[in-house]
Amino acid sequence: MQIRDLPYTDPGRPDTGSGPRLLLWLGRNQLAGQAKAMAWGVVHMAAVAALPVALGIAVQAVVDRSGARLALAGGLMVLLGGLVALGDTMLHRTAVTNWITAAARVQQLLARKTAELGATLTRQVAAGEVVAVSTGDVEKIGWFVEALSRFGSALFTTLAVCVTLVVYQPALGTVIALAVPALVLAVLPLLPPATRRADEQREKAGYATELASDTVAGLRVLRGIGGEELFLDRYRRASQEVRRAAVRSARMWALIAAVQVLLPGLLLIAVVGYGVGLVEDGRVDVGELVTVYGLVTFLLFPLRVFEEIAMAYSFSRPSAARAARVLSLRRTARAGEGEGPAQMPAGDLYDPESGLAAPAGRLTAVVCGDPDAAGRLADRLGGHAAAGAGEAPSALLGGVALDGLPLETARTAVLVQDKDPVLLSGTLAELLDVPASGAVPAEAALAAAQCGDVLTALAQASPDASGDPMRTRITERGRSLSGGQRQRLALARSLVTDPQVLVLDEPTSAVDSHTEARIADGLRALRQGRTTVVFSSSPLLLDRADRVVFVQEGRAVAVGTHRALLRDDPAYRAVVTRETDTGARPAGELDAELTELGESEQIEESA
Amino acid sequence: MIGVAPPAHDPAAPESATTLPVAAPATVRAYVRMLLRRHRRAFVLLVAVNAVAVTASMVGPYLLGGMVEDLAASAREVHLGRTLSLFAVALAVQTVFVHMVRLRGSVLGEEILADLREDFLVRSVGLPPGVLERAGTGDLLSRITTDIDRLANAMREAVPQLAIGFVWAALLLGALTVTAPPLALCVLVAVPVLVIGCRWYFRRAPAAYRSEAAGYAAVAASLTETVDAGRTVEAHRLGERRVALSDRRITSWTQWERYTLWLRSVLFPVINVTHSLVFGSVLIIGGVFVLRGWVSVGQLTTGALFAQMLVEPVGLILRWYDELQIAQVSLARLVGVREIGTGGADDGTEPVGREVRADEVRFGYLEGNDVLHDVSLAVRPGSRVALVGPSGAGKSTLGRLLAGIYAPRSGAVTLGGAELARMPAERVRRHVALVNQEHHVFVGSLRDNLLLARTAAEDGELWSALGAVDADGWVRALEAGLDTEVGSGGLALTPAQAQQIALARLVLADPHTLVLDEATSLLDPRAARHLERSLATVLEGRTVVAIAHRLHTAHDADVIAVAEDGRISELGSHDELVAAGGTYAALWRSWHR
Repeated sequence: MQIRDLPYTDPGRPDTGSGPRLLLWLGRNQLAGQAKAMAWGVVHMAAVAALPVALGIAVQAVVDRSGARLALAGGLMVLLGGLVALGDTMLHRTAVTNWITAAARVQQLLARKTAELGATLTRQVAAGEVVAVSTGDVEKIGWFVEALSRFGSALFTTLAVCVTLVVYQPALGTVIALAVPALVLAVLPLLPPATRRADEQREKAGYATELASDTVAGLRVLRGIGGEELFLDRYRRASQEVRRAAVRSARMWALIAAVQVLLPGLLLIAVVGYGVGLVEDGRVDVGELVTVYGLVTFLLFPLRVFEEIAMAYSFSRPSAARAARVLSLRRTARAGEGEGPAQMPAGDLYDPESGLAAPAGRLTAVVCGDPDAAGRLADRLGGHAAAGAGEAPSALLGGVALDGLPLETARTAVLVQDKDPVLLSGTLAELLDVPASGAVPAEAALAAAQCGDVLTALAQASPDASGDPMRTRITERGRSLSGGQRQRLALARSLVTDPQVLVLDEPTSAVDSHTEARIADGLRALRQGRTTVVFSSSPLLLDRADRVVFVQEGRAVAVGTHRALLRDDPAYRAVVTRETDTGARPAGELDAELTELGESEQIEESA
Repeated sequence: MIGVAPPAHDPAAPESATTLPVAAPATVRAYVRMLLRRHRRAFVLLVAVNAVAVTASMVGPYLLGGMVEDLAASAREVHLGRTLSLFAVALAVQTVFVHMVRLRGSVLGEEILADLREDFLVRSVGLPPGVLERAGTGDLLSRITTDIDRLANAMREAVPQLAIGFVWAALLLGALTVTAPPLALCVLVAVPVLVIGCRWYFRRAPAAYRSEAAGYAAVAASLTETVDAGRTVEAHRLGERRVALSDRRITSWTQWERYTLWLRSVLFPVINVTHSLVFGSVLIIGGVFVLRGWVSVGQLTTGALFAQMLVEPVGLILRWYDELQIAQVSLARLVGVREIGTGGADDGTEPVGREVRADEVRFGYLEGNDVLHDVSLAVRPGSRVALVGPSGAGKSTLGRLLAGIYAPRSGAVTLGGAELARMPAERVRRHVALVNQEHHVFVGSLRDNLLLARTAAEDGELWSALGAVDADGWVRALEAGLDTEVGSGGLALTPAQAQQIALARLVLADPHTLVLDEATSLLDPRAARHLERSLATVLEGRTVVAIAHRLHTAHDADVIAVAEDGRISELGSHDELVAAGGTYAALWRSWHR
């Protein structure tokens, strides 16, 4: 797999049994890449290891005053130099390719998993956990994957150097071959506390960043009310804690660095002390002593690689475990997982649990005293079953249970726009580019949702002075827009989709009365002949519905037109009008209101 | 493969206009100088400690060279014992000082970093409210997260490591010159290769790494959004599109990875060839020198080992240099916040009385595009004024002017005769507060969330403020009471509770005038009704300007001002306006049927 061929057309089915198994699966999928990297690593390290040989030959040549041998050493140098350059570059290229392909694969898997889980994801796992996998864990997994081939080649080269030393210089070689494992092992006990302190530091830094961004996010409140010093002090304390934790962690790494100087240094002293004796005895050449000295300094290099793999593994294991956990999530068996007929049902929408019915092709408004219950009921209408199994049967569309349908069919038939729809970042054109029937053009939907002022604002902010609002980006969650503007854009998006059944939960709660009235008219006109259910308690919307269903305690208790219910049902009146004390309202006032309603209708009709 | 061209799409390019200034290079340089001056002692200490460590590390090769010399001239006596003890002493010194270098380096880096981030937040919280309203907090947020992170890498590692690397390389070259002057010349052979290669690389690298990092962040960002919008994604069947978007972003990111990999594929051989050239020329040319009798065998050995040691500092410098270049861009964005002025001149005037007046006020967000035209409005102390009108009529803008957040382009907004625009935010808010939909709950305890309004308040005052807004019940029910951790990561408050906290803050801050902007409109009708009672308590005895989306708020006002197209078209009490039969009367009927 080359980087230019990414992304994978199919990232595969990961083994999510455990962290190490996920790592193993990733490794199995890039065996060729790992082998290549390891081979180039051996070329690189062997060439570096052989440099002291050239040094030794040169020194010996000079001692022996041999120009020819010096030229040989020069030739060897050129060859080794070329090999080092080639091996280093290719090792880097292949190892980095391994990490990027592995990281890309995990990111692709995550994207597919989150898209598959949709609404059920955050019910199973905290959103932060998934984000942490994508932002931090993937890199750590990639690091291990990258370091693996380096480790393999370092191990191979170290063994080869030790064996060569033992064979050609048994006296010095044995000392070194015994000392090297000791050097490797000596630092290992220091690594866990070091990584632990590094983790502590990261955690503290994360908290400080959170404090800072939280303070900035609420800065307008702070500037308006006060308390800057309070929050600054708090941040300074957190910031200083980060600093202290970082220094504490640095203390450990400094200790490791010192040990890495001390132990190889001691080995060098031993080699020199022992070696000089051997030279004096004539058992070893001067050049050979220099070679061995150089080889020992070379061995420091693979030693670091050994530490790197130990660290990479200790960091990536929890990361891989978390990634495996997220990737192993499945949709709960209930909601819309059915294997039933794939053809689209049609007809009236009916919820057996609440008794709520929405006749096909009509605009039904639902008034629900408890906003949370309204949200749950809206969910039920889309076939999103409440959490927990064994509950009431799902809503029926044309007599067909929605959760018996394949998910895609169920969501196509019924679109539930919840109370807090999210505007995904992108241009306005991208925002409105959703799977749709194609019958409603974006302009019509934007007009019906009264988005004129949003278009003006976006046109002013267009990036290329074209003044085309469709090409202006909407920032994440639509933060650059006001609450009312966000709500109207979300409504426009749902209208573009043009589903057979559209369920809207409080679609105009942040919109002023004037605009709300026009939206109600636009909605009614645009959804002509389609089934629409609106959860609302605004008289402006209720009065434009074909029928109004009043829900209390989870049951539909009354059905009728807004006016009829207003007149006949005191409980309904209490919820819809803003009177808290139902009984205290004199009948005369109510009559006046009804008269007013009638009048305004006449005015409208004559207008 | 001849090379890889940089990808056409640059994920680091700003998607929306940068709303806050970025510092000029000269300002950044001055700031860095200031930082270094502030940490001069730590810096000098680091360099000194490092010099000792490096010098000690050179003892080994030096002693070995001497011994090779002695062994080669085998007649002389080898002082093995003395040499080995010297070696051991040098090793001990080196060990201790390497430890100190690492530690001092971190201490320095962390101190600079802490200075930077604290300084930035100090500047940020001092920004004039008008700047925040206009620029939004998004740009500021990305600076305090992304840019601080990038700087952290640079300060923690790059600055100390570069200091170490330069000292190290200089000392090695110096030592080489001292032990064997002719050999030092051999090093020069490699300089042209290194200089040309590095120039090529560093001209391209920083921008490329920035794009690569932005590309990677975009991959994670799309996933975060999919998770965040899970319900919307599922309802609108956007799953496939999200996957396609993620794949597109992965393509863009990996293209940049491929490009930077190509840059390194040039740099690595350059570095390796440089090393080989240095080492080889010292060895071979030096060997010829020995044969000619210009240097000794011992000098050659020492020189060759020094040359080999050069690998490390050169690698260190190259490795961290581009990190520093990336950090420079982030630093410019952080320092840029310092360049924002603190608004109009403070003339130190204190208001006399409580009347808020707008006199012939004109105001626009963009040059030549006024949102308000000649608006005049007098708000009597203790009265209730409702601003009504269709979206985009300028109600919210007028509200912000009355709260002193924006300064009018012409005309004046005064409080008790003193111009609001000439007062710092700290003084304005003692008198006027703007209450809007933004009821941010800060990360921290409930107590902190209330204390910000009156820093010195006792718990008793906090409880009575909570009581005033009808929130003491649920707070008392919490196990930890005022110590309950709230905000992201803590207990999640419902919107209504958050709004009550915001109202309790107002009770504590106790300004005599309030500007309400859609304060309760985002809430469920039921919660809103409950909150209105809390709000009513807060409003008692204060001057109130309410921007009303729902007309029932307007109904009870002493004065209703109808805003249309940036002008006030009608002004009067509810009954007067209904009787007049104008815009307000029509609106009232349409709402109230």
